[in-house]
Amino acid sequence: MSNTSGTEPQTPLNELAGEYVLGTLSVQQRIEVERRLPHEPALQAAVDAWEERLLPLTAMAEPQTPPPRLWARIERSLDDLLAPQQAVIRDVQSWWNNLSIWRGLAGAGLAASLVLGMTLLTQSRSTPAPSYLVVLVAPQDKAPGWVVQASNSQEIQLIPLSVTEVPADKALEFWTKGDDWHGPVSLGLVKPGQSLHVPLDKLPPLQPNQLFELTLEQATGSPIGKPTGPIQFIGRAVKVI
Amino acid sequence: MSLHEPLFDYEAALDACARGERRALERLYEQESARLLGVAQRLVRDSALAQDIVHDAFIKIWTGAASFDKSRGSARGWMFTITRHLALNAIRNNAREVQSEDDEDHAEAQATLEGWNETVDSFDWRVNPGRIEFCLDQLEPVRRNCVFHAYVDGYSHQEIAQKIGAPLGTVKAWIKRSLNALRECIG
Repeated sequence: MSNTSGTEPQTPLNELAGEYVLGTLSVQQRIEVERRLPHEPALQAAVDAWEERLLPLTAMAEPQTPPPRLWARIERSLDDLLAPQQAVIRDVQSWWNNLSIWRGLAGAGLAASLVLGMTLLTQSRSTPAPSYLVVLVAPQDKAPGWVVQASNSQEIQLIPLSVTEVPADKALEFWTKGDDWHGPVSLGLVKPGQSLHVPLDKLPPLQPNQLFELTLEQATGSPIGKPTGPIQFIGRAVKVI
Repeated sequence: MSLHEPLFDYEAALDACARGERRALERLYEQESARLLGVAQRLVRDSALAQDIVHDAFIKIWTGAASFDKSRGSARGWMFTITRHLALNAIRNNAREVQSEDDEDHAEAQATLEGWNETVDSFDWRVNPGRIEFCLDQLEPVRRNCVFHAYVDGYSHQEIAQKIGAPLGTVKAWIKRSLNALRECIG
């Protein structure tokens, strides 16, 4: 070991990387290298260099024309990759289309954000599935900006899907109104891009079709306790089965 | 520079894959699937498994296109890297060989080429003009064969030792030396 020509401090790393790329490592060693790669830029760089060095040797293997069914199989797998996403989108669309306010809003970007929103919801802790769901969209372009979820009728969570631009001297105020209420009730001010937990214990239980909206108000909120500024995002509660 | 390769923009195709353009993946498939299947087939020596590997590789290429980092290497090389490592993992996972623990210092002493100078090339390896050919040419044929058996055939140290009839420790030492020599030569 002592007199290997050209031995440098980084040689073991280079040897490990070289044998990894060459293919002579045992399965245990391969697993170990692949575990280390994302965390060790030096090892990754050594592996990358070896990949490029030895790449020309791939030309020594005789090309094999694949049967036509191989591409067909790849395409089917690509379809399957999309299938779970599309299933969620279809579910969302089915209730979506029952509500006049939502009609025609099923754009791809919206759908993608919904999937993201739903994923967020299902991944957050081990709370039971939300019993109500609201997607708040911008009134003009119908772009989804926020999701409201309620796992019970006592508290709701407002979750941003993107960062909303708010002028420095303004604030977003969160409102809700049930069908038989006299007017909207403020749920407080919302910071753009931040989640908000809102207790609903002073309000009647959540109901289907309950309106939620975010309006642009002065920095301290609406002075009269009712929305005065333009609606930024709006949506209605849907019971999730 | 390379006259036998049509100009194909692998990076642009990967970028298009990252944007979800399936036709771009199909173009990459048309461009490289035969060579990738050849590489996989040679490594795993089973045509059904080789096709599984190329299938999995193209799914990885599709799902990983957005994270491809061209500062780390060529797009074409990345496709071969994915395919080769899928194949290597498949054959190493299936291998049932006992890993004998060699004393590396001892292996160093076994690196002698005495008795192996008559070995001739087992591979038609002058396929790729360029730096690597010059550097491979600097290695003795028996050591060159070890490198090819490993990289192209996917042989383990033990399989190479059996194939060429050399002690395991000697094969390990030859490969280690060959890699060092190639690294110094290719840069």
